[in-house]
Amino acid sequence: MRETSRGPSVEPASFRDPSGYVFRRDGVLHRQVQAAFADDWRAFTDGGLAASLIADGLLVEHEAADVGLAALPGAAAVIRPRELPLISYPYEWSFSQLREAALLTLELQRRALAAGMRLKDASAYNIQFDRGRPILIDTLSFEVAPPTEPWPAYRQFCEHFLAPLALIAYRDPRCALMLREFIDGIPVDLAARLLPGRTRLRPALLVHLHLHAGAQRRSTRAAPTAAHPTPRRMSALGQEALLDSLRRAIEGLRWTPGGHWTQYGIQTSYTERGAASKRKIVERMLTVSRPAVVWDMGANVGTYSTVAAGEGRSVIAFDRDAASVEHHWRQLSAEARASVLPLVMDLSNPSPALGWGLEERRSLVQRGPADVILALALVHHLAIGNNVPLDRVAAFFARLGRRAIVEFVPKEDPMSRHLLAARRDVFPDYTLDGFRAAFGRTFSIVDEAPVEDSLRTLFLLEARPSA
Amino acid sequence: MDILAYIDPGSGSLLLQAIVAGLLAIPFFFRRTIGGFVDRLRGGSGEAPGSDRAEPTPAEASSADAEEPRR
Repeated sequence: MRETSRGPSVEPASFRDPSGYVFRRDGVLHRQVQAAFADDWRAFTDGGLAASLIADGLLVEHEAADVGLAALPGAAAVIRPRELPLISYPYEWSFSQLREAALLTLELQRRALAAGMRLKDASAYNIQFDRGRPILIDTLSFEVAPPTEPWPAYRQFCEHFLAPLALIAYRDPRCALMLREFIDGIPVDLAARLLPGRTRLRPALLVHLHLHAGAQRRSTRAAPTAAHPTPRRMSALGQEALLDSLRRAIEGLRWTPGGHWTQYGIQTSYTERGAASKRKIVERMLTVSRPAVVWDMGANVGTYSTVAAGEGRSVIAFDRDAASVEHHWRQLSAEARASVLPLVMDLSNPSPALGWGLEERRSLVQRGPADVILALALVHHLAIGNNVPLDRVAAFFARLGRRAIVEFVPKEDPMSRHLLAARRDVFPDYTLDGFRAAFGRTFSIVDEAPVEDSLRTLFLLEARPSA
Repeated sequence: MDILAYIDPGSGSLLLQAIVAGLLAIPFFFRRTIGGFVDRLRGGSGEAPGSDRAEPTPAEASSADAEEPRR
C-alpha cells in the first residue's frame, strides 16, 4: 500500500515521534528504531517490560528484523510488528471502547513506572482493538525517565480520553464526533467550557479538566521567559496517586445509551419465517463468497454481524448510531468480540482522510476494500432517506467491497412506507428493475433471492474489475 | 528541571500535575495502607488500590448524577 516502485515507503502518519518510523517493505509492516532512542529501546526490551506487556496482551507482538532493512538512515534496530486487520480511530469508537482504551493507557503507564520507565505519549491513536481487546500498537512509546519528573503525557491523556468521555457522560454522546475535528484530543479549556457546571462538584473532573484549563490559561499568559518553567519534582508515590486519580475519574464516568436502541430489535417488519429465510440466504451467499473480512455496513445491534462471524471470518460492524454500537459492544461476549468489532460510521458521511497532508488518518475507503460488504435493510435509508441515486449507492459500495450482499427493500415495504410517509415520492427509479439496472453498471449479479414471506430481495453482487 | 518530551507537555499541565500529585499522595498513601490492613484482617491479599476493583470509587458511589438521562 502506497509503496513506490520496489523501495520501502514510510507510513505517512509516522512522523511526530522522532524515535522511530513505521514503513512498509514489500508490503510488510516494519518499524525502525533510531540510534538516538537506542538506550530506551534496550531498557524496554532487555529489562523485561516489553516481554511482560506482550505476554499479558497489552502490547502488540513483534519480531526482530535485520537492521539493514531500515527505510531511513540512523536506525539502531528494525522490528516487524504483527499487523492488525483494520486500524480504527477514536472518533469511530463507542463510549465503552474509548473508556477501555483509556484504562489500558493508565495501566501501561503504571507498569512502566514500576519498571523505571514511562509512557512518553498517551495518544488514543496508539491503541487499537485486537480480537476484542484494546492493545498498544506503538512499541516505541516507552522511555527511561527519573521517577521525580511529572508525566509529559498527562495533558494528552486528559485531552484524548478524559475530556471526550466526560463530555459524552455529562453532555451528549454526539460530542464523540468532536474527536474527528480535534485529532489531538479535545482541548481541556474547550471541554471545561462545554461541561455542565455540576462537573465541578466531582473532584477528579474539577482537577483534571476545570483546574487544568485554568492552569493552562495562566501559563500562556505568563511571560515568554517562562518557556522552560521548572516544574516541581514529584514523588514516586505522587506518580501513583495521580494515576490512581485518573483511573478513578475514568471509571466513574458512565453512559447508558438511551432507550431508543431497544426498539431496534423489535423494529423489524419480518415475520419469523421471513427472518429465517433471510438468514439462510445471507449464510448461503457468504459461504459461496468465502470472505476473510466482512464489513457489515448498517449493523445496528449486530444480528447479522453474528451470522457473518462464523467460519473464522473477521467482521467489522458499522452503524451510524453511537447508542447501537455501544449496545452491540456491551452485549458481545469475549469470544464474540474476537471476531466482531462494532464501530461508529455514518455511511452518508463516512470517515474522511484527516491530519497533516490529509494522510495521517485514513478514510474508510482507504482502509478497504473488504472481501464482502453486507448492506442489509440499508439501501432504502440511503436512497429514500438520504436521496442518494441507486447508481451512486452502487458505485460507492463497489469501492468498499469486492463483493456485496445487498437487500433491496421496495417502496411497498412497511419500512420504506414509513420513510416516505411525510414526503413526496421523488424516486421513480426505486424499483426492483431500477435496482438491477443501477447496480448492474458497477456489479455483476451473481445471485438473486426473494426473501420468503416479505417483499424484499437479496442480491449477491461482484464488483466489475473496472469498478 | 526541563522535561524533554517530543509532544508539548504544556507548562501549565506540568505544574498543575506536580501540585495535584503532591496533594493526592497523602490520601492515596492512607487508603493504600488502611486498605491493605483491612484486607489482611479479612484474610485478603492486601492489594494496592491500583488493582483493587472491588471497592466502589467515590464516583461510582455517587453515580446517580452520572447516570441521569440526558436530553
